[in-house]
Amino acid sequence: MNYEFNWFYVKKALPQLMDGLMVTLQLTLWANIIGLVLGFIVAIGMLSKIRMIVWPLTAYIEFFRCTPALIQLVWFFFCVPILFNVWWSAEFMGMLALGLNLAAFNAEAYRAAIQAIPHAHTDASTALGLNVLQRIIYVILPQALILALPVLITNGIGIFQQSALVALISVQDLMYEGRYIATQTFRPIETLTTVALIYFAVSFPVSQAVTLVERRTKRLLAS
Amino acid sequence: MELDFSFLLEYSGVLWRGLLTTLQFVGLAVVLGLIWGFILSMGRTSKNLFIYWISTLYVEFFRGTPVLVQLFWIFFCLPLFLGVDMSGFTSAVIALSLYSGAITSESFRAALKSIEASQFDACTALGLPNGVRTIFVILPQAVLRAVPNLLSNVVSLFKESALVSAVGMADLMYVGQNIANNVARPIEILSAVAIIYFCIGFPLTRAVSMVEGRLLKVVKA
Amino acid sequence: MAFVEIDGLIKRYGTLSIFEGFDLNMGSTDRLVLIGPSGCGKSTLLRCMMGLEDIAGGTIRLGDDDYIDGAPNGKMKLNRQVQKEVGMVFQHYTLFPHLSVLGNLCLAPVRSRGIKKSEARDKALGLLERFGLADRANFYPSQLSGGQKQRVAIARALMLDPKLMLFDEVTSALDPELVVEVENTMMELAEAGMPMMIVTHDMHFARNIATQVVFQERGKVIEAAPPKDLFGNPQQDRTRDFLRNVLHIEG
Repeated sequence: MNYEFNWFYVKKALPQLMDGLMVTLQLTLWANIIGLVLGFIVAIGMLSKIRMIVWPLTAYIEFFRCTPALIQLVWFFFCVPILFNVWWSAEFMGMLALGLNLAAFNAEAYRAAIQAIPHAHTDASTALGLNVLQRIIYVILPQALILALPVLITNGIGIFQQSALVALISVQDLMYEGRYIATQTFRPIETLTTVALIYFAVSFPVSQAVTLVERRTKRLLAS
Repeated sequence: MELDFSFLLEYSGVLWRGLLTTLQFVGLAVVLGLIWGFILSMGRTSKNLFIYWISTLYVEFFRGTPVLVQLFWIFFCLPLFLGVDMSGFTSAVIALSLYSGAITSESFRAALKSIEASQFDACTALGLPNGVRTIFVILPQAVLRAVPNLLSNVVSLFKESALVSAVGMADLMYVGQNIANNVARPIEILSAVAIIYFCIGFPLTRAVSMVEGRLLKVVKA
Repeated sequence: MAFVEIDGLIKRYGTLSIFEGFDLNMGSTDRLVLIGPSGCGKSTLLRCMMGLEDIAGGTIRLGDDDYIDGAPNGKMKLNRQVQKEVGMVFQHYTLFPHLSVLGNLCLAPVRSRGIKKSEARDKALGLLERFGLADRANFYPSQLSGGQKQRVAIARALMLDPKLMLFDEVTSALDPELVVEVENTMMELAEAGMPMMIVTHDMHFARNIATQVVFQERGKVIEAAPPKDLFGNPQQDRTRDFLRNVLHIEG
């Protein structure tokens, strides 16, 4: 092992990497918004007794959970423009694919959480004269959110990591910039290590926070 | 627009070989990851602080960075770093196995931690020596409890393995993208590839929840 | 000389003190039942007797032997040979879930006492027969009812021929209709002359099985007497208060 490190180029390219990180963070944020909202809607839909609602939703969840995120992304990138005759940017496609992927996983998290809500709460809501929508918004949603929070955050940070895939459909995120700089400067070790460290610096604190949140929610719901 | 899936038959042989390559990667990563993961979990429960911190840092780092970054790092940097030539196949297997080891060690550790303190009390009350306790009481329960998690790791690896296409390995993903480019029919080809992935990923996922249900019944006595 | 001699026992969890000089004696034909409000250290006492807890001071003797010599900062001395003569049954069964009933019974004798497999097996089958569990020998714990699990746990402890048995709230986790089968098993053991220390909330059972009932509160023995006297004519106000409360609740 006689490799000589040279961090000069990485230092020079750091602003470019930061631009990439911003793209990554934006993608993560939007994917999480889609994932949190759509995931809950899907989970509520799964409670339905109507097969025409449950079956397509089940198919959606299982398909996104059981195939690689990469094929989902590539499929969106190449097929959506042809199928629907729309021309959206790669960033937007990436956001959609990641958001739908996350929504499928989050729907499962919400579903498990909703099942854990005591059935007596439904009865209590009825006794209090709440209608279905009020019950969903005021009784089910808050509890499901609290119960599912650790998993939702874990999934959210997972999508931050998965977002590196968009580099493969030429979205200029952190991964893309890192690879670009690595080849431009012939300094892959320094560059890619820096990229890895940046990813780690963002996701590690969040995953640690999950452990904390988990402990809190357990206490909160023990009552 | 018109969809035409019939031409896919022509490519079934190539796709099949791509799938076999994918499965080969997954198989190797699972087996190597099991061994590496077990060693790591020993490190993470070690009383030696140095070993504990090194293994913890390793696991957190591999769980906290994108697999794609890991793959590129191993592919581009490791050969430079070590000053040896390494085939793309070898680096891809190494990258997946290093990741696999990290998530496997977490499964083992969680299983060990989930064994109630009362089981240890019972061993003391029966006068079992430490060796007997570890081999005949703790280890079998840990393995049983880890099985569902280990299986779902296999599913994860199966999905993550599609990344090796990004470093030019001719797996199912790579083959699919190549054909799609060549025949300019991305919808049919990419959908077919997605369905093939699904046909393996879905039963595996189902198996995980089935096994989980059964084992929980046994273990939670 | 008493069979069990607990002398000046000190047990603390961090800053929380459970015992500060606790004394108790027990004869070789005694069946001691410990009663008292929850948190008074009944279960802790049994766990100390089993050697599961580190004690900061005091001594425990069993038969003619020094058993445990307490010392602060984890320097307690414990005689492993004597520990092997004590058996314990826990509230939550603690059967090994991955082993069959026979496997549970034979593990310790075969693996740590060097008894031949066939020999242990015969002995196990004999015990199961005696407890009416012969047809459950090849079942797994998850396939048994709570009462059966607890009786298997008793049999498992008896496989090692203990000289003293400890029972820590063994019926507390059971459905009411399953309590009787476990209590009957314990009565049978009692009639066979096994010395026991029992923690229970069931006063009726305590009255039936005990030779001596010990009422303890806040880490001290308040009153100890044969059940007839302690239940019929308690001498201390605190004993009376306690009994009035629990018997009232029991109806």
